[in-house]
Amino acid sequence: MGLRRGPKNTTMNKIILHLDFNSYFASVEQQANPFLRGKAVAVGGKGRGSQLERTVITTASRQAKDIGIKTAMSSIEAKRLVPNLKIVSGDPKKYSEITKRFLSILKRHCDVVEQFSTDEAFGELTYAAGDYFGATMIAQIIRAEIAEECGEYCTVSIGIAPNKLVAKLACESQKPNGLTVIPPDKVSAFVATQPLSAICGIGPRIESRLANIGVTSVLTLRKISLENLRHEFKSYGDWLYAAARGIGDDVVVDGKEAPKTIGHSYTFPHDLVNDVEIQTNLLALCDKVTWRMRRDGFIAGKIGIYVRYQGFYGRGAQKNLSEPFMDGLELFSNAWKLLSTIRNKNLPIRLLGVRASGLIKTNIPAHLFPKQNKVHKTLKALDTLQTRYGAGVWMRASTMNTNFYERTSGWHYDHEI
Amino acid sequence: MHTFLNDPVDVTVDFANKRIQPLSIRWDGKTYAMKTVNLVHGAREGSKRIFYFSVSDQTNFMKLRLDTETLEWRLIELYTD
Repeated sequence: MGLRRGPKNTTMNKIILHLDFNSYFASVEQQANPFLRGKAVAVGGKGRGSQLERTVITTASRQAKDIGIKTAMSSIEAKRLVPNLKIVSGDPKKYSEITKRFLSILKRHCDVVEQFSTDEAFGELTYAAGDYFGATMIAQIIRAEIAEECGEYCTVSIGIAPNKLVAKLACESQKPNGLTVIPPDKVSAFVATQPLSAICGIGPRIESRLANIGVTSVLTLRKISLENLRHEFKSYGDWLYAAARGIGDDVVVDGKEAPKTIGHSYTFPHDLVNDVEIQTNLLALCDKVTWRMRRDGFIAGKIGIYVRYQGFYGRGAQKNLSEPFMDGLELFSNAWKLLSTIRNKNLPIRLLGVRASGLIKTNIPAHLFPKQNKVHKTLKALDTLQTRYGAGVWMRASTMNTNFYERTSGWHYDHEI
Repeated sequence: MHTFLNDPVDVTVDFANKRIQPLSIRWDGKTYAMKTVNLVHGAREGSKRIFYFSVSDQTNFMKLRLDTETLEWRLIELYTD
């Protein structure tokens, strides 16, 4: 993401705001249902009712975090730790509405807004605020408007600094409900007080590699020369050198780029063993991918497939096709052939993913042959139905037994894609 | 106790300040007077707009679904402490 880009040379100090919701999904659930407030609550990944017994925690409420519940913990482990933990099913429609509301509030006040995840965004305040006092005032207004429009239980932490790296670090430094302002002359001292793992871009692997060369804090990182960091981390050494000094990217980018790929993957509630089960689920995934392609006006010339087994071991492959496609059945027949070349038939499948790339923006091309034209007309009619009545209005007889539960977390919400 | 339902209900609403506020819900032969509207969110089902109302009284949380095409209200979640 933008934070890992090299720092840009700009002639003036910018004012960047970073906003992050506290325990996002759990807070929204507590806002909707007051009987969950003040309690240890966790939001499950997929499914509801008894399916929550085999889910993964996507977000824990503040109260749950205080007693050790963490994101990505299995619900079985979480229940073992806190037997009275209330696990609720995720409601992506609710969260996407709150995401839209807070982005709209930010757009009202910032020069430019860049969404960083479902519950995080950067906003540039250089012109809107003028100085750090003005930026602090705007942050307070944004916080009040979020309480008014999203609900008072949906609290946010805000960081304000000259670049995105330090704004995010400032935001993370005070949770929940914090407001941390780091003007340019305080950046170096502030970054020095932060743990290495708090810096966005230093994950457990990099942290461990740094520890191997004796770097355990920002101050010790500053003592390593740029040459040595380059030697150890290649080009990432430049980024580490700058990050240790609070130098980072200050360009907030609005707008969406055209997609390079359209794909869909799914972790199944139980592992897939037999060919028929794998084929029907793969076909249903292919229909999802090609519907999105047709809806957004793309055809594709390349396919990709990914399979993951138990134990998180996986393999992927991709292939150029001789003719572009936009029909789920065409994608499926090629994806199945490709999958057969890489699949280990002795291992049950935990996750399947399929992707279309080499996208070309165009209308559905007409075909020369009557049979293809019939498919073409049928697809158009089915797409009209789906646009009018939504996903699930039609499905192939062979995929009737497939059922993909909506995912709670991720960059996109399933109902929006 | 958290229950997922899909029951048609009768809802008395108040229209004020360009907002709809459910006041009472008639379900399963009983009338529940709602104290607060905690959250309202919308979603699309195809080209149809659906609104969800998360409301509560002293002892119950209810999630209501309003279909703006048919104007049908349904009780889809009930949570009792």
